Amino acid sequence: MPAEESELAIARFINAPPAVVWKAWSTPEHLEKWWIPAPIECRVIKLDLRPGGGFETRMREGGGEFQPHVEGCFLEIVPESRLIFTTVLTEDWRPAEPWLALTAIITFEAEGGGTRYSARVLHKNAADSRKHEDMGFHDGWGTTIDQLAAFAERLK
Amino acid sequence: MENYQSPLDAAFHALADPTRRAVVSRLAKGPAPVKELAEPFDMGLPSFMKHLRVLEKDGLISSEKVGRVRTCRVNAERLTAAESWLSEQRTLWQARTDRLADYVETQMSRSVDDAG
Repeated sequence: MPAEESELAIARFINAPPAVVWKAWSTPEHLEKWWIPAPIECRVIKLDLRPGGGFETRMREGGGEFQPHVEGCFLEIVPESRLIFTTVLTEDWRPAEPWLALTAIITFEAEGGGTRYSARVLHKNAADSRKHEDMGFHDGWGTTIDQLAAFAERLK
Repeated sequence: MENYQSPLDAAFHALADPTRRAVVSRLAKGPAPVKELAEPFDMGLPSFMKHLRVLEKDGLISSEKVGRVRTCRVNAERLTAAESWLSEQRTLWQARTDRLADYVETQMSRSVDDAG
């Protein structure tokens, strides 16, 4: 499968120096504020910033139990510059089978007085497209989705 | 599969049934009252309402009751998300990046000053 069908890249300027953006990413109290959209609550369980360190966040909606959200392992940590994590491993490189396999490469680059922040996210895709097929994606409602998507586009 | 780990899973579940797909296709043309939506289907209103509740619970449609008439409409944002898992992931990461920027720019400028 071509890479462009399994990769995404987001970049934007943030009006604060890399040290501050890094702090927002690397401190549990800060990360919990923006990692998941309100009103869903986020709790950081593991944020062990070293290669092989665990990364785990949980989420809760409407006051129930905290549910699994992201569980992974950091692959590379360069403070104020670069952070990579994957969900195909958990703490200390233990292999895992996540519901969505991904590797996220986050970079923080000084630009003017601020930061050029970017996230490149790689997906496995083969397994995920198989998951879609299992659910009947190619059996008749692909067309419906196309129509709905076109409709949704017009509403924007 | 009751405990969805992704909003997309919920959307898939909601659209896995032909009646529910037909309802969403109809609503894609514009809002409609429940009575009109139920007409083409050979089932009782209570059974039909169950389908509507699934769609509503999974966020694909919303409904509003005015007087004695309940009108349904599609939730366009969710449908765009269901278009493809990758576009859903892109939307998710874009929104996450925007929340980070907003948080850093509005909540953390003071802490930088404090840090000196």
